[in-house]
Order: sequence, then C-alpha cells, then structure tokens
Amino acid sequence: MIDTLVLTQLLNGAILGLIYGLMAIGLTMIWSVTDLPDFSQGGIYIISAYVAYWTITLLNAPYFLALLIGALAGILLSVSFERVVYNRLRPSGVLSCLLAAIALFFLLENIANALWTPKAKIMSVPETEVTLNLFGIVTSYHRIIIFITSVILFIFIHLFIKYTKIGMAIRAVAEDREIAALMGIDTSKVYIATWAFGGALTSVAAILISPLYAVWPGMGTLPLLKALVVVILGGFGSIIGALVGGLILGLIETFGAIYVSAAYQHGFAFIILLLTLSLRPRGLFGRR
Amino acid sequence: MANYKVVRSLPTIIILIILITLPLYASSYVVFVVAIALLYAMVAAGYDVLLGYTGQLSFCQGAFYGIGAYLSAILTVNYGWSFWLAMPTSVLFVGLVSAIIGYPALRLRGAYFAVTTFFLAHFVYLLFLNEVTLTGGPLGFRGIRPPESIGPLSFESMENGYLLILFSFIFIYILLRKFVNSNVGLILKSIEQDDILADSIGINTAAYKLLSFVISATVAGFAGTMFAHFFRLLHPTTFSWFLSEMVVIITLVGGVGTLIGPVLGAGIVTFILEFLRFAPEIRYIGWAIALIAILMFEPKGLIGLIKRVGRRWKYA
Amino acid sequence: MSEKKGSRKKSIIIVTTAVIVIIIGSVLGWYLMTAPTAPRVIKIGYSAPFTGPAAEFGTNGWRGISIALEEINARGVYIKGERYTVEVIRYDDRCEPTEGVAAVKKLILEDKVISILGSHCSSVCMAIAPLCDEHKVPGITIECAADAVTSPGHEYYFRMRPSMGLIAPLITPVIIDRLKPSKIGFLAINDDYGRSFVESFKKNFGEYGVSTVIEEYFERGATDFYPYLTAIKAAKPDIVFYVGVTPEGALILKQAKELGLIPEIKFIGSEEMGEYELVSLAGKEMVAGTYAISLWAPKPEIRELASKVKEKFNAPMHYAIVFGYDALHVLVKAIETTQSLDPAAIKDALKKLEYEGLQGHIKFETFEYGGKLFINQGRYAPYLIMWTEAGEKELIGPS
Repeated sequence: MIDTLVLTQLLNGAILGLIYGLMAIGLTMIWSVTDLPDFSQGGIYIISAYVAYWTITLLNAPYFLALLIGALAGILLSVSFERVVYNRLRPSGVLSCLLAAIALFFLLENIANALWTPKAKIMSVPETEVTLNLFGIVTSYHRIIIFITSVILFIFIHLFIKYTKIGMAIRAVAEDREIAALMGIDTSKVYIATWAFGGALTSVAAILISPLYAVWPGMGTLPLLKALVVVILGGFGSIIGALVGGLILGLIETFGAIYVSAAYQHGFAFIILLLTLSLRPRGLFGRR
Repeated sequence: MANYKVVRSLPTIIILIILITLPLYASSYVVFVVAIALLYAMVAAGYDVLLGYTGQLSFCQGAFYGIGAYLSAILTVNYGWSFWLAMPTSVLFVGLVSAIIGYPALRLRGAYFAVTTFFLAHFVYLLFLNEVTLTGGPLGFRGIRPPESIGPLSFESMENGYLLILFSFIFIYILLRKFVNSNVGLILKSIEQDDILADSIGINTAAYKLLSFVISATVAGFAGTMFAHFFRLLHPTTFSWFLSEMVVIITLVGGVGTLIGPVLGAGIVTFILEFLRFAPEIRYIGWAIALIAILMFEPKGLIGLIKRVGRRWKYA
Repeated sequence: MSEKKGSRKKSIIIVTTAVIVIIIGSVLGWYLMTAPTAPRVIKIGYSAPFTGPAAEFGTNGWRGISIALEEINARGVYIKGERYTVEVIRYDDRCEPTEGVAAVKKLILEDKVISILGSHCSSVCMAIAPLCDEHKVPGITIECAADAVTSPGHEYYFRMRPSMGLIAPLITPVIIDRLKPSKIGFLAINDDYGRSFVESFKKNFGEYGVSTVIEEYFERGATDFYPYLTAIKAAKPDIVFYVGVTPEGALILKQAKELGLIPEIKFIGSEEMGEYELVSLAGKEMVAGTYAISLWAPKPEIRELASKVKEKFNAPMHYAIVFGYDALHVLVKAIETTQSLDPAAIKDALKKLEYEGLQGHIKFETFEYGGKLFINQGRYAPYLIMWTEAGEKELIGPS
C-alpha cells in the first residue's frame, strides 16, 4: 500500500509541473520563432495575476472570467512589447532585444510594486477551495481544475500547431525564417501570433497557480527561470518536450523539497539544467 | 603631434584630478557614493571584456563579487590573516572557481550560457544566505577591519579607503586597456565578430572565451575584496540578483566593447539613482523607463551617442 | 588625412565640453537640491525600505510617521517661545546596507537633518548606527529586532522596542505555563528577523529543558509550505513558532490545516501574526485557537490610530505604523524637553526620556543581559495573545 502522502505529493508535483510546462510552451515558441528568450514574460506573469486579482476583488467576477481577462491582459502586453520595442531593436541584434526584455521585466515588477504594494495578496476563490479526500489523498477542487485545464490546453495547442494554417506557419518560421519568408509567409503576422500565444500561456499559468500560492510583485522571477530550464530540458522548440520537461521538474522539485532539502528547493532546477547541458544539450525532444 | 595627444587626454585628466581631490571638497556622502560607483565601474569594465570583446552575456558577476568579498572577510576575521595576504588569495580563488565553472559552461551557446549564469548567481546567493556558520547569513558578517596600514599610510578613514579604491580602479583599468589593445585582445574581438569563422582559422576560441570569463570574474572578485574592507559589513542582500542586473545595465548603457563606456555608465547610473532618491516609489520605475528609452534610441550606449553626435557635428 | 584629424579633434572637443558641462551642471544641481533650511523648520531624516521585499515595512512606518507629523504640526513645536514646524525627509534603502549608508549620509551631510529615524531591517540598522556616532546625530530605529543593533550599542543610536534577546526570556515562561510543551519547532523566514527569533527562543526554551526538534527556514515570498509542514508533521513538536508576514502566515495556517497539523500542534506566530490582517486573510475559523506574540495589548488608542489609518490610507493596521508614530513623537518630545536643535543635546534628552507610547512605556536604558551589554535599549514586556472564534484577541499574559 503506497503511502498516501507520497501520492498527494505526486499529484502536487505533477500539477506544479503542468504549470511550468504551460509557461515553457509559450517561451519555447517565442524562442524558436524569434530567437529571443523572452524574459519579459516574467513581468507579464506578474501583471496578469494582478489583473485577475483585481477582476475578482473589484468586479466580484467569477474565477473563469478573471482567467480570461488576465489572459487578455497578457496577450495585450506581449504583443505590444513586440510591436513597440522588440521590432525596433531587432536590427541591433538579439543582445539588445534580450536586454530590453530584462528591462521590461524590471519595469513591470516595479509597476506592480507601486500599484499594489509589495505585500502579498491572497487570491481567494472560495468555491474551489473545498478540500477533497480522494482515496486518502488530500487535495482540492482547485487542483483538479488546474489539472484538467492544463491538459485541455496542451491538447488544444498541440492540435492547433499541427493542423491549422497559422500553426503550420509558426512551425515553418521556427524551422527557417528566410525560407518561410521566401515561400510567402508573412513573418510579422507569425511573430504577433507567437507572442500572443506566449503571453496567453504565461498568464494562464500564473492565474491558475495564484489561488494556491499568493500574488506579490516578486512572483515572476523563479517561475521564469524554471520555465527556461524546462525549455532547455524538454528541447528547444518542442511542445511535448515542454510538457514532459515540466512534469519532470515539478516532480523532482516537490519530492526533493521534502526528502532532500527545503531550503535549496529552487536549486534542483539548476542541477537539472547542468545535467541537461552536459549530458544531452539538445534536450529530451530537441531536434538539433 | 605632441599636443594632439594632450588634447585627447584632456577629459580624462580633468576627471582624474576631480576624483583624486574629491575628499578635499566633497562631503563623505559624495565620497561614499563615488567609491561604490568606482567599484561598480571596476566590475563593469571587467565584465566588458567578456561581453564586449567575446560577446558572451553573463549574469553572475554579482556572485564572483560576493565570493571575493566573503572569502576575504572570513580569512581576515576568522583566521586573522592580513588583508594584503587575504586579498590576493581570494582573488586567486575566484579565478580558480571561475575557471572550473567556465570550462564546461562556455561550451554553451549564447542564451543557454546566459541562463546558466542566471542560475549560478542565484545559487551562490542561496549559499550566502543559508550557510550561516560561514557567512553569518541574514544576520550579516560584521567586524571586518580595513586593510592593514602600509607604513604611515593608514586605511582606517573612509577618505583613505576611497583613495585605495580609486587607485586600484585606475590600476585595473590600465591593465585591462593594455590587455584589450594587445594581440590577445584582437583575437577576442575576432571571436566576438564571428566565432565560427575564428574557429575555422584555427583559433582556440574555447580557450580565449575561458580566458575572458576568468579575467572578468577575477576583476569582480578583486572589487569584492575592496568592498568588504571598505564597507566592513557584508549581507547577502548586497549580492543579490539586483547587483548582477546593475552591472549588465551599466555596461550596456555606457557602451559595450569600449571599456571606457561601462565606466561612464557606472557614473551616470549612480548619479541618476542618487538624484532620484527623493522620490522613493517611482525611483526604479523612472529608471527602468529611462533604460528602455536608451536601449531603443541608442543601442550602442553612451559612447555610441557621443560618437554619433561627433559625426553629426562633422557633417553639419 | 587632415580631414580625419580634424573630425577627431572635433569629437574630442565635444567630449571635453560635454564633460565640463555635466560636471558644472551636477555641482549646481547638488547645491540647488540641498537648499538651506527655511527658518523655523525642524528637519528630520527617515531611511526605510520603500521598494524591494521589505517595502511594506517602510510604507507602514511612513504612514505612522505621517499621522504623527500631522498631529505635531497642528499644535506646533515651541522652542524658546518660537513656533517651529517639523519636516521629515525620506529616502529608500531597499533593506540593503549600502543603500542605507548612502541615504543616511545624504540626510545628515546634504539635507542637514538634526535626527534620523530608521531603519526597519537589522542589517541596515547595524550599518547606520556607527554613522550616528560618527556624525554625532541621534538616530532612533523603527523596528530592527536583532540584538546586535544595540549590543554592543552606540551612544547616538536608540531602540524603543525590545530586541529578540529581550523578548524571548520574558514571554517563554508564559508560553510554558499555558501550553506546557516538551518539544518545539520553528518555521521562520530566512532573514535577520526570522533568524534572531529562532536563535533567541531556541536558547530560552532550552534553558527550561524544552528541546527544539525542527527548524525550517523559507525565503521571503515563499508560498508553498507543504514540504516544510510535512517535515514538521514527522518531527511531532507540541508547538510550532511561525515567523514571517501575514500573507505567509495565512498560507502556513491554511496549508497546515490541510495537512492536519492544526489543532494538535499549537501554532504561535511572530509579531505580525497578531495583526487583524491575519484574520481577514485567513478567515476567523482558520485563525481561532492560534497564538501570537504581540508587542502591545489591544488598547483603545491603537484602535483610534487604526481607524485613522483606514480613513487616510485605506490600509490595514500594522505594527510598523505604531512604531513609526511613536518614534516621531518620542523624538519631538526630546526636542521640546531640551528646547534646542543641537543634535548632541537631543541625544542627551533621549537618554533621560520616558514616554507613554502606544506600544508601551518607552525608556532607553543601558544594561547588561545574558552576557551582552545593551545601550539605549527599551525594555517593555511583550504579550501573548490568542485568537478567539470571534476573531478577537484574548490576552493570555503576562498581566
């Protein structure tokens, strides 16, 4: 009989991993299409969570509406950064874009600090906080919701990328930008679509996890770093990789925190990164 | 010919005179702020060797700065070493650590390397925070003494500490300049331009990248030891991600690849942040907006701006 | 050839001119910014974290100071028959020592303040205290908790609230009397406050024969306490001290209940867990039956202050507000007592001062305790409170 505690942590680790995976998909798409590891997604993570928080507390809206509105905010920010900042800096090289992304992250974090004060806010969703006891595993409605929502999103994205026109255009540009342009694909439209996706996924990840944790201005740094590790672990440009990589990281972190060290729990991502880069640099499902 | 050289170095001479005589007319507030700015400038100049001359973006300067600081502090306070022995030891140690880390890490391309250094910096910060018996953790490491006097020259006062930092900075800067202008520097520049091509000519790019990484880390570690014995109190928050971020920003704002750019950048950044001190909440927002504006309008940084203005003037 | 030389010469001239302009501009700017004090204005400096992870403390400290400032300027400060107004200049120190030093130096040397208030983080306080002695300007800390801030102390640096090393011995017997634990555990934030808390209480409980079976630290902003709580559950302490800020506290209680630690294990919170905000974040049922260490008993004056804070800033009450409020009043009282703007005289007045603040009876004493010498340190006793089902605080002791 497996210890129910272990099962609970298995579930928790998997859920955490799905969240990392969602954010990683957005990042890996942006990175493979535009060559930029978009650090500003960390800032978008923060702002979209706060927008959702406001929607719930000020407008008394239901959770799913907050999720939608927050995602919209994420898309808006993401796309405007591309149109206003990255577009201009692209001729100067990836380095400039990367630094602008970092500056934008910094900016968004400080805006959150100024608008909502640095003290953490608890996003309370009483309907889903109900604790469940499934076969001895202590969990809540909310965690089940995260699980189901993430899985649905993964399937949706996978099908979208594989079978729709835009999806194929995105893959083409990720493969080889110049040839894709020669074949008549409008790369700027693809860029916008990619960034919209990234912004949406990051926001959804942030808003899904917020009721379990808390919303505070510094909440974006660690998830961004972890998502980057997942991108590398899963393989550059691979959506399946992001999913699998996310699950691996989530589980290792959760079990590592309990059985090894809680103080260094954020260090496991680092170890995974080092192992991946030294043993299999192209990641689990990477092509190059 | 001779007076052309004099004219050329005029701005530098003026600035040097101002800096050297600073303690005479400026308050200890200004001296303190300038000392910290000089330390930033030192780290940034060393960092420029890595970023500007080999094109590798890294975020772990803060980690090396911190290791240098804590090690020198531990050796002098816990083991009674003299600063003049502890400092070179710490610098050597930082160099060694950076070589060990750099050797595998530099095989990574651009963004992967950057992300790794990101994590490294955070990991080292966690070490500073959690290894309380060694570093004092959040309770801080206190009681660090200034460098032992050399003859009648004591470093007890802040003014003398400042002068020590100033002359160390000048010394390091001249060394870096010479390095960058030498044949080795030329090779580094070629790697920055196109490392695949350089490789194909037979240049051992990996070795040169490692060299520049170690140099930038060593300079940061040296600056760290200077900081430890100047400020005399170490706390993990000083060596957080914020510091590494600042170094990168300073180097960029000043002008990557020019060595003098980051130095100017350190000065400008410090000035702006001190100036904005009266508006605490918007201080960093205003700063971030200014930064983005600078990046968008002049990606080559301050030096690029000056050169551009110079060119316009010529063709006016 | 000559064209190249000419353009080079031009850019050198431009750079030189630019440098000279910048230098002259900054010097002018410096002088303009540090304008001389208007007559009959008392300038006081305040260094606190307004950005960064500790920003809520500075923000709240400032709220307390602003309210006190309004009250003080409404009645005016009279020195030798002349009416003065008080001005408080505040700078952000980000809870980081080098920033604190720069801020305080600027306040003293450029803004020419006659006293300093600040800061909130022990690391910054430790860096600031020697500056007060060096420049002979008195400073009152707002809330640093580590012993080391006043031990060994500084002649010009004062602390109203008792440090951790002083709180623990006073409250430990109360806890032992009420809960009779044999094993205790700690779940604390990994900063100077959390570490000093654990250090002091571990030692004091040890003197009563109570052992510490588990000690866990989490980073600021941590939100997943399941790993820590799981380890605590396995270690089976009778009491767990949880140290942090209210959102963390609320999450800890929530997650602890989920894992079944409450109510078998008694949870005792650090100072912030004695704030009503914990009840509003976690809910009455979650908080009922848990304890907290509070630095003051619920008095009517504090409720008054809380409603003023609500009215003016639309923010919940926080102990930093009380500390800030008391600090400014204490300083002004010292100035009024000594009827002078001389920092050294103010310092002497502070040493002899006694004031009934909202936090308790404020008096700065110099004494030896636990083998350490404390200078200019306050010593009022803390309280143990328990949260009732109704979401109110019940005073357990000492009386």
